[in-house]
Order: sequence, then structure tokens, then C-alpha cells
Amino acid sequence: MTGAAGGDRARTGHGAADATGAAPEPGPLARHILSLADTKRLLGIRYSDWILGSPSIETGIAASAMAQDEWGHARLLYSMLKRLGFDPVAVEQDRPAGRYYSAPALDDPFPDWAAFVAATVIVDGALAVALESFAHGSFALARSRVPKMLAEEEFHRQFGAAWFARLANAGGEGAARLEGAARAMLPTTLAWLLPGDSAYETLVAECGLWETARVREGFEARVGAELAAVGLSLDEIPPARAGWDPERRRGPGAPGEEAVERARGDRNRALFVE
Amino acid sequence: MSAGGGGRVARGGAGTRPRTGLHEGVYEVFARKRRGDPLRHIGYIDAPGDELARVYAWKTYDEENWFEMCVVPRGAIIAVNRSDGPWGRNRVDR
Repeated sequence: MTGAAGGDRARTGHGAADATGAAPEPGPLARHILSLADTKRLLGIRYSDWILGSPSIETGIAASAMAQDEWGHARLLYSMLKRLGFDPVAVEQDRPAGRYYSAPALDDPFPDWAAFVAATVIVDGALAVALESFAHGSFALARSRVPKMLAEEEFHRQFGAAWFARLANAGGEGAARLEGAARAMLPTTLAWLLPGDSAYETLVAECGLWETARVREGFEARVGAELAAVGLSLDEIPPARAGWDPERRRGPGAPGEEAVERARGDRNRALFVE
Repeated sequence: MSAGGGGRVARGGAGTRPRTGLHEGVYEVFARKRRGDPLRHIGYIDAPGDELARVYAWKTYDEENWFEMCVVPRGAIIAVNRSDGPWGRNRVDR
């Protein structure tokens, strides 16, 4: 990318407000950052739903810590948009649900603990691979900030792998629910991770992101063993690209309004006392 | 989280706690703040295995920027001079 390794206005980011002060249209890099940040913000919300009610107190504490990690990472990612000419505060607080770029697997709350576990492996795993690619690219802020996120994500990987194996090995209803949740999340999450569109090709060419095949290899390496434990293989699951929205880099739908209110922090701001 | 834990040794050596329905073991948590500091007992966690014990310990006792942390299955700690307390049940002198 021209100047992307540290330049203030990456060409792929677009970003500068026009003469009227109108919000700029996000370019491929800005959309990529939004896709990562929104998914982390929503994943944090879905994790937080299980702080109370998870199988043990320790598990609830881990869910809380992972939720905080995701929110912190989202905040860091949103702040990168400033370099591209956007106001991160407006991005975080002003968008309706239909303008969210988050992975569709997070549109609805997890119906059970098995879905939580599946998401720690599949959605959190997809995020980690996407971030690893981003950290190895030429965008300076990603190179400097993402490695610490990935270090924190290592505990998410361990948590997900251990719980996934535990439910899978237990068999019965738990394993069946886990397989069902994984099977439901994979098609849309694969499409989110591997958009394979011209915007992503631009990011590969100009920002040094990994090519799609390498991202897929990274995801296979990360989650392949877990999926095999419930009889699933990435080879048998095509990405769900029907109704693909190239602007939001995801399929149709949007996160629930209640979740977006929490993502924006509407109620928190309502309590501000000047 | 409650104190106690059986003296029976599960996988990884932790005492089993079937009353939770999770078949969890108790792990003692030790940490030091700086290189060279003594390793200090800072608490315990319940976990179903070594991998989750590591995660739970790190996420539960994260109020300090620990230089080093480790977990030990309670059942692997051998009491030396006392027979009471959580580790006393692990005496091997008879």
C-alpha cells in the first residue's frame, strides 16, 4: 500500500472528510479494521452474557476476562481508524445495527454453553488468524499493536481447545450440541474470514495481508484438530457467500439491536453527569 | 469456589470434586512478581484438567503483573509436618 506502512492516509483507507464535513466512505483498509473491531466488540458482548451462569465460577471469571480482552482489542482497533481520517468515537457510538461489519455468527446470543465453546474456537480462532495476517502486513499500527493482542489471545485458544475437547470427548448431548453449533457457525465465519473479493485482493496487494489460501491454511492449523473431534472438516464446509454485502464484508443480516445498544454503550452514556 | 478437595488423585494429580458435577480438581496457584522473588502461594482454583487450570489461574489472579505463575494439583503436594489443612490429607507417612 502506498504509504500504508506508516503513512497517515493510506490510499486503501480513504478517510478524509470532504469539504462539507460529511463522514468519509471507508475504503478497503478501513472496512477491514471495522470488520475486525466490530467482531471483537460483539464477541465480547456474547462472552459477557455467560459471566454469570457458566459451568463454574472459574469459567465465569475466564469468560469475563476474555470479554474484557475483546473489548480492549476492539477499542485499539477502532482507534486505528483515526489514522485513516475517521473519528473513532463516532464510529463506536453512532452506527445502527445495519452498519455493523461483525461476523454473522455473533448476530444472536449463544443459545447454550456448547455454542459459547464453539465460538471460542471458530470465531475467536478466525479473528486470531485474521489478526496474525494483519500484524504481518505493512500497516504500521497493526504491526505495533496487534502482537500484544495475539499474546492475550493465546489464553483464549487454550480455553477453547480444552473446553471443546472436553465436550467432544464426553459424547452424548453435549457433543451433539457442540457439533451443531460448530456446523452452524462455520459457513458464515469462513466467508467472513475468506472474503475472496476484490477489496481483499487490494489489501493483499497494497497492505501485505496474507493471501486467501494462506489464511485458510492458518485457520485449518488453528481449528482443524478441534473440529475433527466432532467429525467436521473444513474441506466439507463451503463458505456461505449468498447475499454477500461487499461493503460490510459479510453476509445478510445484522446483530440484534439490543446487542448493538450495548456495543455503542447507549445506556452508559445516558448515565453521564456533566 | 470452595475450600477443600479430596485426597484422591485424578488425571494430573488433582483431587477430584464430583459434587460439582464437573469432575473438577483443585489446583494451588503460586506466583512471583519479580525474578528472584520467592514463589508465593496466592490461592487456588477448581479446574477439570491441567490446560484449563492454567487459563483459570491466569485469568482469576490477574490483579498483579506476575513475572511467573504456576499451578500445582493439590493432590501432588505432600504435607511434611501437619496433618490438618487442605494439604494434610496428602501425607504419605503411613
